[in-house]
Amino acid sequence: MATAAGFDFRRWRLVLLGGLLVGIVLFAAIFAPWVAPYSPFDLDVAKMLQGPSAAHWLGTDELGRDVLSRAIYAARISMQVALLAVTVGLVGGTLIGMTAAYFGGLVEQALMRAMDLLFSFPAILLAVVLMASLGTSVLNAMIAIGIVFIPGFSRLARASTQAVLRQQYIEAARSIGMSDIRIIFREILPNITAPLMVEAAVAFAYAVLLESALSFLGLGAQPPDPSWGNMLSTGRGFMAQAPWLSIVPGMAMFICVLGFNLLGDGLRDVTDPHMRE
Amino acid sequence: MDIRSRALQDGRPTLSIRDLTVDFPKRDGAFRAVDGVSLDVWPGEIVGVIGESGSGKTMTALSTLRMLPKRAVVSGSIELGQRRILDLSPADMRKLRGDRLSFIPQDAMRALNPTMRIGRQVGEPLVLHRNLSFKAAVSRAVDLLRAVHVREPERRVEDYPHGFSGGMQQRAMIAMGLALEPELIIADEPTTALDVTVQAQVLKLLKEIRDREATSILFITHDLGVVAELCDWVYVMYRGKIVEQGSVERIFMDPRDDYTKMLLASTPTLFPREAAI
Repeated sequence: MATAAGFDFRRWRLVLLGGLLVGIVLFAAIFAPWVAPYSPFDLDVAKMLQGPSAAHWLGTDELGRDVLSRAIYAARISMQVALLAVTVGLVGGTLIGMTAAYFGGLVEQALMRAMDLLFSFPAILLAVVLMASLGTSVLNAMIAIGIVFIPGFSRLARASTQAVLRQQYIEAARSIGMSDIRIIFREILPNITAPLMVEAAVAFAYAVLLESALSFLGLGAQPPDPSWGNMLSTGRGFMAQAPWLSIVPGMAMFICVLGFNLLGDGLRDVTDPHMRE
Repeated sequence: MDIRSRALQDGRPTLSIRDLTVDFPKRDGAFRAVDGVSLDVWPGEIVGVIGESGSGKTMTALSTLRMLPKRAVVSGSIELGQRRILDLSPADMRKLRGDRLSFIPQDAMRALNPTMRIGRQVGEPLVLHRNLSFKAAVSRAVDLLRAVHVREPERRVEDYPHGFSGGMQQRAMIAMGLALEPELIIADEPTTALDVTVQAQVLKLLKEIRDREATSILFITHDLGVVAELCDWVYVMYRGKIVEQGSVERIFMDPRDDYTKMLLASTPTLFPREAAI
């Protein structure tokens, strides 16, 4: 615990490390126009497929565009998609899970069996199917990935709500005449946010991967908009001549996903009372 | 000796329970938790219901609040003032709880929401039943906390429950119960979780409230010492039935029922008498 005596570095080190990596990616995403040395769209055919150099730190792609700049702009898309997708999953899943746990009975059965149905599809397959029916665009990718996340969040919210419902303060809230809706939002929700936030951080990493996978398959961000997924997809064709085209977006993805995973794990440990000494 | 002094002042009891029966259906028949209980609480009277665990005393209290588990089957009649509790709609019942009828639970620590400031919680009944704003409710909470002798209430309303000691938490619960000057307070072993000195303070406080506000109190307990200290009239419950009732003096000096005698004999005293059974 961070006490007045001092900050317990060991307890928070995962959070700090994860936060640092996430911070780098977020910084690049938010300040892309100032951070990136070139425009991600500027063609320079004379300089295509050049290796790393002083002018282009991470080389150029098959159309002579600066790979570093494209990777930085790609972070924007990834972060936008992940943020909206996690929000959709978190809000939808939490509402469904809390409703199911609170009312129980048939309501719970209906909602949770529907969640099981969604859960039974492999995530990427579900996302691809949803994209196929919604159409190809970044916004639809966000929605599709968000829907993929709903069952996981709903199960977590349901389990956490069930634990909170056994607490006496719920009975106390009822004894002063609180309505169901008010109990759900004022008494239960604040008490289940910690596990949901941890799950959200982990889901964020997963959303980045899913978005890249969809873009790799040509279902997410459309060229010329840069995304780590479609950069990897193009780079695949030049693996022998220009390996940096694949390595750079791959590394970017790696740093981003690692950062969010460390952050999620670290937050779980910090918020878990059993890990406290 | 065995005269119910308060009953003579007013023609109508605050709470009147007649032939209350609570059954819990089981695979083979039903479990009868409360078996034909009748009891009265008169205005300004503190009535004790004493019995061992499983005697049905808490079920009797929860029936009055209509907060029994859903599967419980209730029959008989419960009247609070002119209202027939068991016939009220759930919405009307909700309006009654925390307003005309309030509940003080056993373990205040667990009955307070850990994520909400004390002031907000103590003021909650005012928000629910009197449409007070958050700010107005908190400023009323200051007065309420002062009335239950919490020191520096202006500062304390900003605290979270974990910053309160056990006795203070119970005071906060009592303050919440008093918020709307209810006709009846039902207290379910409110002092069991407290140590003896704090217990004495809380009992004194309840008495003081009764004297000041003329509130009726139904006090559920298994503790004979508490009954002797606090109550005007006592009902002894055993296996879902009321086996004996009388003034505190009469019950202690001249117990008539065998179970009551056993109960009295089982209390360790400095000068043990020969057990009657």
